[in-house]
This record gives sequence, structure tokens and C-alpha cells, in this order.
Amino acid sequence: MFESRELRTQQPDAESDRGSALDLLSETIEHASHLLPAQGPITVFIHHNTLHAFEKLSFGQAVKEAAHVFGCHPYLSEDQYRDALRRGRIRFGHLQEVLERDLEGRTDTPVPCFGTRLKLQLAMLEDPQRTGPAEELVWHVAEEDALRRIRPEVSAVVRARLIAETRRWVMRDLRGGSDPGNGDQQRSNLRASANAPQSLKELLERFDSDIENWSDNEWEGFTLHALWRVCCEGVRDLPAFIASPPPPIRHRDLLLEATGADADLLVNGLLIRFVAAFVDQGLASSEMPLRDEGFLGAFCTIYSQPFGSPDRWMNGLAQDLGRLQDRRISALESVRESLQLLGVPPDDWRKFISATFLPLRGWGGMLHQIEQRGDRAVRPVPAGSLVEFLAVRLLLDKYAAAHVARNELKFVGPLKELRESLRARFDGPARPSVEQRAFQVFRLAQVSGFSPDVLCRLPADEWSTIVREIESFGGLERRRIFHLAYERRFTEQALDAVSIHSQQHRGRTAAPAFQVSCCLDEREESFRRHLEEIDPRIETFGAAGFYSVAMYYRGAADAHFTPLCPVVVRPQHWVTEEVADDQAQLHHWRAKTRRALGEATHRLHRGSRTIASGTLLSGFVGVLATFPLVARILFPRVAARIRRRLAHIVEPPTDTRLLMERCEATTGPENGHIGYTVDEMTATAERLLRDMGLTSNFARLVLLLGHGSESLNNPYNSAYNCGACGGSAGGPNARAMAQIMNDPRIRDGLAQRGLVLPTETVFVGGMHNTCNETVVFYDRDKIPPSHQQEFQDARTAIETACDRNAHERCRRFMSAPLTLSLQEARRHVEERSEDLAQTRPELGHATNAITIVGRREWTRGLFLDRRAFLTSYDPTQDDAECSILTRILQAVFPVCSGINLEYYFSRVDNYGYGSGTKLPHNLASLVGVMDGAASDLRTGLPWQMVEIHEPVRSLFIIETTPAAMINIMDRNEGIGRLCRNGWVQLAVLHPESRHISVFHDSDFELYEPQATTLPQAASSVDWYRGWRDHLEFSQIGSGSEVSQLPPSP
Amino acid sequence: MPDVVQLLPALGIVVVAAPLLLTVVLGISSLIGRKLSEESTTKLGHATIVCGLLAAVAILGIMLAVDERHIPLPLGDWVVIPHHYHFSVKFVFDRLSVPFAILSYVLSGTIGAFASQYLHREPGFNRFFVLYAIFVLGMIISSLAGTIETLFTGWELVGLSSALLVAFYQERPAPPRNALWIWVVYRVSDASLLLAAVVMHHLRGEGDFDRLLGDSPWPEEFSSLEPNQALFVGLLLLFAVAGKSALVPFSGWLPRAMEGPTPSSAVFYGALSVHLGAFLLLRISPLLDLSPLLCSFVVVLGLMTAIVAHLAGSVQTDIKSALSFASLVQVGIIVTEIGLGLRYVPLIHLLGHACLRTLQFIRAPTLLQDYRTLENAIGEHLPHGQTGIERYRIWLYRWSLERGYLDSLLSEYFVFPFVRAFRWCDGMERRWTDFLSHGPSRDSDQVRSPSGGIDELA
Repeated sequence: MFESRELRTQQPDAESDRGSALDLLSETIEHASHLLPAQGPITVFIHHNTLHAFEKLSFGQAVKEAAHVFGCHPYLSEDQYRDALRRGRIRFGHLQEVLERDLEGRTDTPVPCFGTRLKLQLAMLEDPQRTGPAEELVWHVAEEDALRRIRPEVSAVVRARLIAETRRWVMRDLRGGSDPGNGDQQRSNLRASANAPQSLKELLERFDSDIENWSDNEWEGFTLHALWRVCCEGVRDLPAFIASPPPPIRHRDLLLEATGADADLLVNGLLIRFVAAFVDQGLASSEMPLRDEGFLGAFCTIYSQPFGSPDRWMNGLAQDLGRLQDRRISALESVRESLQLLGVPPDDWRKFISATFLPLRGWGGMLHQIEQRGDRAVRPVPAGSLVEFLAVRLLLDKYAAAHVARNELKFVGPLKELRESLRARFDGPARPSVEQRAFQVFRLAQVSGFSPDVLCRLPADEWSTIVREIESFGGLERRRIFHLAYERRFTEQALDAVSIHSQQHRGRTAAPAFQVSCCLDEREESFRRHLEEIDPRIETFGAAGFYSVAMYYRGAADAHFTPLCPVVVRPQHWVTEEVADDQAQLHHWRAKTRRALGEATHRLHRGSRTIASGTLLSGFVGVLATFPLVARILFPRVAARIRRRLAHIVEPPTDTRLLMERCEATTGPENGHIGYTVDEMTATAERLLRDMGLTSNFARLVLLLGHGSESLNNPYNSAYNCGACGGSAGGPNARAMAQIMNDPRIRDGLAQRGLVLPTETVFVGGMHNTCNETVVFYDRDKIPPSHQQEFQDARTAIETACDRNAHERCRRFMSAPLTLSLQEARRHVEERSEDLAQTRPELGHATNAITIVGRREWTRGLFLDRRAFLTSYDPTQDDAECSILTRILQAVFPVCSGINLEYYFSRVDNYGYGSGTKLPHNLASLVGVMDGAASDLRTGLPWQMVEIHEPVRSLFIIETTPAAMINIMDRNEGIGRLCRNGWVQLAVLHPESRHISVFHDSDFELYEPQATTLPQAASSVDWYRGWRDHLEFSQIGSGSEVSQLPPSP
Repeated sequence: MPDVVQLLPALGIVVVAAPLLLTVVLGISSLIGRKLSEESTTKLGHATIVCGLLAAVAILGIMLAVDERHIPLPLGDWVVIPHHYHFSVKFVFDRLSVPFAILSYVLSGTIGAFASQYLHREPGFNRFFVLYAIFVLGMIISSLAGTIETLFTGWELVGLSSALLVAFYQERPAPPRNALWIWVVYRVSDASLLLAAVVMHHLRGEGDFDRLLGDSPWPEEFSSLEPNQALFVGLLLLFAVAGKSALVPFSGWLPRAMEGPTPSSAVFYGALSVHLGAFLLLRISPLLDLSPLLCSFVVVLGLMTAIVAHLAGSVQTDIKSALSFASLVQVGIIVTEIGLGLRYVPLIHLLGHACLRTLQFIRAPTLLQDYRTLENAIGEHLPHGQTGIERYRIWLYRWSLERGYLDSLLSEYFVFPFVRAFRWCDGMERRWTDFLSHGPSRDSDQVRSPSGGIDELA
């Protein structure tokens, strides 16, 4: 991924060309910075591919490379896959298919004893491979049953044969039972006997007492001893087949290896404190002085003060920093200087700088993000901060390395030579020991039933082939194959389900009772399914949750504008919520009260941490804190109700409207510039309706629902919100779009553009809280009386759907009994959102695995288990260029694959790629969380969010033709890269024939369904009840009682 | 109401026995490998804590009703050498111990309820509650202790469970490292407490507080020790207090203790454990009355701690460190108050502070939402302050950011020479053994720690 060749060609010829050396350096740093996590401040959590920097590579290569760069797991552990194999989650047949495809015709490469490579690899997949340090294996072999009992996995038949063959061989050949009659035989005996290594003969001597009366157990022990010795002999003189990893590049790693002392411990503690103070967005009560001077400037001034820290390792740092300041040495020059002093030649820069960034990659990445997206931070940092961070890091690394080397190794030479001298000590990682190699063959030989006799006779080159084949199919490779089979099983089930179900496609609902549009979020899948089950005349749609209204929004009680749109979009419009004139007085009064209360609270909050007010507070009113403490922990719901009631007194009045229409020509946050023109609104409305394919057959009532999530004690709250609204709640967008749609001028405009909305159709905006499962509606007073009854009916249906949805969600919560009633389930989810002690207020996007873009008709009635993103799109209304599909996919691909891949990586290595368990998390600088009081900033998702996630790459099923999809992939680099490099799995459903084609390598292949029927269930609850784990797809209800429009052509 | 008074010993036993029962049940079931389920652990925890709390409240009620201010509960002697020495297990219920025991019950009970939710499905759930039980037991024993040995027992249990809870996430390197630091600080200060116990035995032949400190009820006791003796014992105890309550120069351990799950940091460092030192000072307050010099030491130490913690706290950029220093400020003030001769004021201060801080710790992860609510209410970004006097601002900032260099001072001037001395001894020994065995004498030098690549990480 890093164009190393390109970099090398630009190498400076000599020191003379200082400028170009600095250019190269800055370019190198720029490249290395791509490795840093791209997560911004946690208040706006945007899901993205954790390995975004590796997207140019294919998925398999990328995860492997990243595993070496970051030291993180690319897949689940082999044990987890093997467990899946036992449970039937992975099919053995799929393993074989995947292997055949992977070996591409090299399946029949012969391997002695095992037959073919395919057979060997299958045997290795089927049988748990164990290895470990040589000492551990020796201990295992010597102390445990490994040399006494044949492995329990070995079948009785193989075991008996193994012993019998050995016995025969020992009695006939090894012991040299003589046959005086036949000279030839005699010679071959001798040969066999001579072939048998010395160690076997010793073994026989040790055992050889009364051999003819040995019990079965003794023969078993002897067989294993002989097998072990033969294996050890066989592998003894083989060369290494796998290139050993290069020695570490950083001084710290070499020193750690040599002495066990960690130089990073010294540096990290200091640097974490400093960088946290530098990026602090307002947590500390006093701000860092001289922050404006930039990272390096502030560091130099602060750390060059006299009478500083007594730490020995920093001796001389103050003078060094003073020199940097006096001579006005730039950050880049300082980096170059440090690299020189550390003895790192330009050839090593790229690797060395990447490796230097990685120990504090979370903090480095955050600095980089705030540097680049200053618009999203309260206190932006100046450009170039990352380079300055690196400069400081290298300065400190220099002192720490010198200190450790001096203390532990008595190294006093120039620092330049430290690395060489350490590498010289480093005799390279030992190649696999005899025991390690023998052990694998030893175990495989038992399950495959190879007796010592057979192995003993193998010539050296065949041993070499066997060991090479075994070693080249190492743990990572096996896990890759397992993973492909793991995904394959799910893909097959999903494609079968869609393929069978879409054949029974019934067309749109003829006379819809009302229509509901939700976000494409996979958490809304069950909500929509339940709505459709409650009344089959309800029609649902899915669209990106910002409803095409990309805006900066400020609510009546908000202090600032929030961008409500996907993060890639920079909004051009500003919208505010205004309080109705008759309530302006009240609003003003309440706002003043809120302000006074807020200031008082803030003062209390700060005051409790100072000497004087803290003493007064804790002395006089401290004991009163017991009441909220006990109430909130033991009675969270009551406490929440009281809190809400109190808050209600000062909340802004409910009678508000959105200021949508603009009078000035330009947009902006000031009065008069807020809002859209009628034309702009018309264009937005048209775009949304055409995207959803809702251009005809309108119901009298159309509900647009945004979504958000509310929970307590949860720094990750934003990650549960609407991704299409930039990690905020999407209610205002739905409200804005409903307001636009209801405007008669816009209806006229739409009609002129060929989109006629019946006058009796009314839009209502609302918001679905995915955590406590409530739906609120906006501007209810604007609903005409003629529609009030329908609205009430719709609300009743929505409430019922909320109950059922809560119930379905509860099956996944281990703390919710499976026997909950609908009402209890609703209460349970409400309590979760109000409980301070709840670490899993909801499960977020966990279990997402499918992304569907197409008409709802062919997924309606299919139980997708809250695992599918559902975007509505009607290919029959699209043009030949598929321009509608293209713009939908431009949003869907980054958003859905981003969510899916972030969950994938956070799940396969929760500590490395994710942020580990949430419990010790500590909010730092208002930008992220640390583990404890001083750690790297933890990026990615916590364990509590991904616990039940099944890490598979998202399966995109798009309703279009293969040719059209290829065309889109060609024209959109981002989409093409994700598909071609296998970061998503792609399939298309032909709009007419309803055949599925699966994208493989570079082309689509027609998919042959493997099943002919799907399980049927009367209702969703009938299918999921009593079950906590993932469920298979099924068809829910029949739905035939409702008249349907004929399928569109 | 003589009948009611007779109930007191029984109630007293319940107060002590409830956490003991919890510890024994959880401990034994874990030892024999039959861990209780999350649900039964929670229920058992609730039941025992509620029992203990009710009994403690009942005792308080009776004491107030019958105006009884000092109720000893001797449980017998463990070791007796007539006329020379006796080692008795004894608890005392008075105006100091009962409120502190009730506080311990209320806070640890609430935190227990919190933790049973918060740690749901956490692999270390059982371990957490075993340590939690030990902690509660330690708190109750120390707060009710009537002899210094009993107090030491509780003190040790608290120290042990705290250190192990800091190291709760033992699979990462940082928590055990920080726990070790805390453990060492605890051990050093505990050694001082032990010395104090020895000295007390030497002076009085027993460790009973009422013999040492006079038998009138707290806080009107009067000790018959000589002022010099009081100063000596008092200094030893003050050293123990400094370690336990993170006073200067040991303050650095407090933020290090934030490695555990949120509820443990809340109850242990924000609220209870850190106040134990102040409690001990209150317990031995008659000694303070005897020696004005000792009092001035206490005041100076308390004030220094408050100032260091205030300055360090004002620049902390993570919420748990900020809160832990905020705690420390108040602990320093409480200690100062004790040094100034106040008794009820620091007790009330301590109780109030513990409750307030627990609430803040528990709510720490919600800070982002809180800030947003505040900003929305105020209508602008929250203001940011600046430290100190302009001229020394930069110097002071660094000093505060590095937490007064306290940890560095300890490492460089205490740990480093100590380690070097022992390394030197080790080097000499090695020379000697090498000489005796005519060659390298330690096999362990040759063994390299096995390090696996990603392939083996599975």
C-alpha cells in the first residue's frame, strides 16, 4: 500500500540536497499517517472501515499485512472457527469447496503419505493444530499423556491399525527377527534395520524386555514413542521454509528484546499527558498555556523550564529543547536530526516512522483528525501538529533509549551505533525447533494413521515436502480458509432465502392504509416487519436517514448548529427551530431560567473540584448526594421520571416550527440566510421520492421517521445514532422533509417535474428512539382534522410495532428473560436507556451482515433477523444510466460497508482494533476514551457493542443487472474498489428474471440456489421465541389476504 | 430500656458477620471451583449488605435513644501472656465508628448494586465480587476496630482487595504495573502501622485503643501517654495514614488506581478507601491532643496535599484523574481539620464528601452528555480557566501536569537507590556462585521469554 518503490526513486543522493530530503521526509510522514486510526472526536462517532488505509489491497492481503503492521488478529481464532464447525455453522463441504477454489488447480499437488495437498490441508483443518514454544512441547510430550495414549480424536479403527502395524514392524524388522532361508530378505531386513535411526534402537533396548508378552497399553506407548522419535529424526536437518520475520526496527523493541526494559513506558506516560492536554476540548479546568505556539513550540517552552522533573532519563532534554527554540529548528528538521542521531538511514525511514507512530496511534490519529477537520472541533489544532508530535516523540525516544541502554546494558557509545550493536546481539529469531516441527507431524500422523514404519522409510526429500506443505499452511492461512467457509455458509443461506422469497414476489400494496419510511438502518428491519405484520396494508420504505436534507440544524434549546447529514457531505443550508410567537415570552423566560440553572450547575460541577467551594459543598450538602445516588442506581425508572418532570418545567415550549424558507440569496447561519428556497426544497423532495421509488400509489398518510438513541453513562452514544445524520439523531431531518412535502408550492413544483402527489396525502415527521423504543411525532397540530383519525390509527399501529420490536430485541439481551410479555419487554428496554449501570443500552449495529438495495416487495415477509440494511430502490423507474442507483450506492456503500467493517475488525480483535471492554474506560479530553488514567486513546468499538456480532463481510444484494452494476463499479472508483478487492460481497438480483448473480473476482456468476423451500412461520414472534442466538431466514405469514398491485413490469 | 441494650451485642455481631458471611461464601465457592451465578451473587450481596446496614442503623438508633456512647464488643483473646501481652479481637461502637460503618454499608451497597449490572457478562464478575466482599469486610473491621491489631486486619484486607481490583484487567500490562506501585506504597505504610502497633504494645502491653487513648467515649478521650511517646506513635501512624489516604508524597498512586472498572474506582478511591486514613487519625485523635507538634505535622501534610491535588487536578484532562485529585483535595482538607483539633466537622465533611464523590464517579462516563446539556442551557461553549500567577504559570503548569513530580521523586530518590543496592547484592552473589561453580551458575539467565508472532496469538 505504501509506494515504497516510488519513494526510493526519490531518495536524495547526498546530504547536500537538504530540501529534497525534508520533502521526502514529509512525504514519508504523510504516508505513515495513513496508518493512524481515522476516528474523530467521540462526540460525533462515524463508523468507517478500520483498515481504510489498506483498501487498495484485496481483503485477504490487507488483513494479513495489517496483522503484521499492527500485531492484530485478522480473523477469529482457530478455536472459534473450529467451534463453529462443530456447531454446524461452518459446513465441512464448504471448507472443501473453498479450498478447491483457493488452490486453483493446485489441489492435486502430491504430498507423500497424505496423497494430495488438498487432502493434507483438509486434514489440517479438521484436526486442531497445536503448537507452542519448544520448551512447552517438550514438557507436554514428556509429562502428559502424549507418549502414552494415542490422541482421543483418533478413531478406534485407526488406533488399532496403528498399533498392529507398529507391532508387526517391530517384531519383523526392527528387532531383526531372522529368516535364515532367504538372503534377499535378510538384506532388506538389514536395510530396514539400518534405516531405523539409532534412537529407535535405543528405545527398543529400553523397552525390550519380554516383548512378546507386552500388553496393549505397552504397545500403544511404544508406538507413540517410536512415532515421536521418527518424527524428530525426520525433521531434524530440514532447512527453514518460512522466512522468519525481520528483526524489530525500533530501538525500543530491540532493547525490550535484549533487556526486558521498556523505554516506551518512560516516553508514553509523559507524552500522553501532554498530547491529551494539547487536544483537550474543555475537560481540564485550566487550559494549556502557549497552546497557540503549536505542539512543538508549547512543548519546548514548557519542558525547557529550569527546575523541572527529577527524572534521570530526561537529563539534558531542557537544554536540547532550548537549542531547538533558539535556532528556530522546524519540526521536520528536528525529526530528521533525531533520525540521524538514532542512526536510522533514509531507507528505513518509512518503516521506522510508521513503527514510531504506532505505540500511541490513538492519540496521534486524534491529533491528525482534529488537525484535518478543524470544523468539527471546538478547539482546532494548527496544521502540522502531527509532524510536531512525531518530532517530540523522537526527541523523547532518543533520551529514553539512551537511558535504558546505559542503565541496563552499560552502553555508553554514540546512540547512532546502538541499533547495530543491539542487532548484533540479536541472533535472529530461531528457526522452528525440531520439537515444534516434529510435533505437528506427530499429531497428524496419529489421526491419519501413519505408523512409524511408514514414516521411518521416507527419504529426506519427502520429509522435506511434507514439512514444507504443513508449514506453508500455517495458522493464518487456516483461519483464512475457515473464515471463507464461515462466510460462505451465511452467504448461501441469505442468497437462497432471497432467491426463493423473491420468486413469490407479490407487487406493491394496492391501497395502503398508510406508508412509513424509515432509515435504511438494519435496526429498522424488524420495526418495519412488525408494522407490516400488524396490518398488511401498511407499506414501508427505507432511505438514508437524513432524508436528503443535508443541513446544519439548531433546535430551540440548542447552543450550536449540528451538521445533520453524512460525514462526507458539507451542508450548504442552515435550519433552526423557532418557537411560535404566542409562546415567545414563555420561551424567553425558560431560556433564561435554563441559563441560570446551567451556570449554577456548571459552577457546582467545577466548584466541587476546588479547595474552598469543594469543602463547603461536600461538607454541607454532600450527604444529600446520597439521595440521587441511591435513587438512580436502585430505582432508575422512578429517578428518570422525576428528572424528566423537573426538566419539563424549563424545557422550551412544544409549539415550535422549523424555519425552512430563506429570503436572502446566500445561505448562512445568520438571520435571513437560514433555510432553503422553494426551488431547492422542490429538488430535495423530488430526489427523495425518486430514490425511494415512491412516485405513485400514495397513501393518504405518509410517516417519515428519523432515528436516534438515548442512553446514560455511554461515551459511545453517538455511535448508536443515525450514521446518515453524522452520528446525531435524525428526527429534525424527517420533520424538515415532512414540512417540505406538505407545502402546496412544492407540490406544484413536483407536479411540474412530473411527480404528482394527491392533495389529500399528508406527510408527518417523527423520530424512532431505537434504544427505549418510542416514536414521537412532530407538528401534530398541523395535521388536518380530516386526517386525525387515520393518524390516530397509525399511531396505534406504531405503538404496537414498538412493543413487538422491543420484544424481539429483548431476546438478544441476556439479562432479559425469554418469557417477557410485550409490555414487560417495552419496560425492559425503557429501563435500559435510563440505567446508569447499563453498559449495553442497546446492541447497536451488532449482527449486521446484509445490505439490500431494491424494492421492498421481494423482501417483505422475509425474516431477516435485524441483520439487513434495507434501502428502497425501484429499478423500473431508473434511467438507462442507472443514475438513481448510482447516487443511492454512493451513499450506501461507504456507510454500510463502513459500519460492517468496523464491527468486523472490532469483533475479530477487540483489544487491537476495537477498544476493549468498556468498563475501565475513562473519558479523556472530551475526544475519546482511555483505559485507566494513562493509556493510548482507544478507538474502535467496545466489546459490549460487538459481543454478539458475527464477523462476516456484508453481503450486498442489489436489484439491478450485472452489466449495470459493472458499469457503476467502473465509473465509481470507491464502489469498484470495495467490490473488486472483496471488502464486501456483492450479488445482484435481476429486476425481471429475479435470478441472482454473484460477483466473483472480476465478473458475475449466476447463482444456483441450494435450497428449494424456506421455513415458514405464522408471525415473527412465532419464529424467534425462546431463542437467543442468530436465526435462520424464514417466511413470515402469507400476506395473501391483501389485494396487491400487479408486479411492475 | 434494658432489653434493647441487651440486643446491642447481637446487632454488633450481625454488623461484622454480614460481610464476613459474604466473603466466606463467595470465597469458598470460588476456591472449590463452584462459582455462584451472577444472579445468586447479586442476591447474596444485597441480602448481607442490607442486613449489616439495618443492624448498624439499629445500633445507631439505640445508642441515640439510650444515650449510650461507647459500646465495646470484645470477642475474646487470641493470644494471652498474662501480665505481659494480650492480643484481643474487639470491636467498638461509638460516635465515630458507627457513622463510618453506616457510610461504608450505604456506599458499598449502592456500588454493589451498580456493579452487578455494570459487570454483567464480564469474565471477571465473580472475581470482582469476591474482592468486593473482602473490601467491605475490611472496611467494616477497620471502622469498628477496638484494638490496633483488629484495625490492622481490616486495613490489610482493604489494601489487598484494592490492589487486586486495580489489577482487575490482568491481561493488559498497565493495570498490574500500577497495582504493584499501589501495593508497594501500601506495604511501606502498613509496615509503619505495624511498627506503631508494636510500639503500643511495648508502651501498654496491649493494643486496645481504650487503654492507649483513655476510655471515655470518642471524642472526649484522654490519653495518659507522654507527649513524646504520643509524638512517636503518632508519627508512625501518620505515615501509615499518608500511604492509605494518598497524602503527599504518596499522592501519585491515586490516579494510577483508575485502571479497574468504574464502580471499583468510585467506591474504593473516590469514597471509602481514601478516607480510611483520615478515619484512623480521628480514631487516634487523643494522641493529637497530646502533642501540638504532631498536630502541626498533620496540618502541614493535609494542606500540602490539598494544594498539590488542587493544582494537579486543575490540569488533568481525563475525568477520572480530575475526580481523583478533587477527592484528594478534600481528603487533605479533612486531614487539616483534624490537625486543627476539630472532630465532628471532619467527620461530617468526610461523610458528605464520600457520598458526593461516589455520585460523581459513577456518573463520570456521562460527562459528554452533561457538557452538552450545560452548553445548551448556557448557550455557548463552556469557559476554560487558566492556572496561577502569570510569571510562574508555565513552570507551574508543567509541575501540575506532572503531578508535582511526586512519583518521579519517589522513583528517583527512593526506589532507584533501593533497587540499585539490591542489584548490587545480587551481582555479588552471582560472582560468588559463579566462582564456586566455575562458570555461569544460573540456568535462568539463559532462558529467553517465549514470544509468539501473530500466528501463535490465537
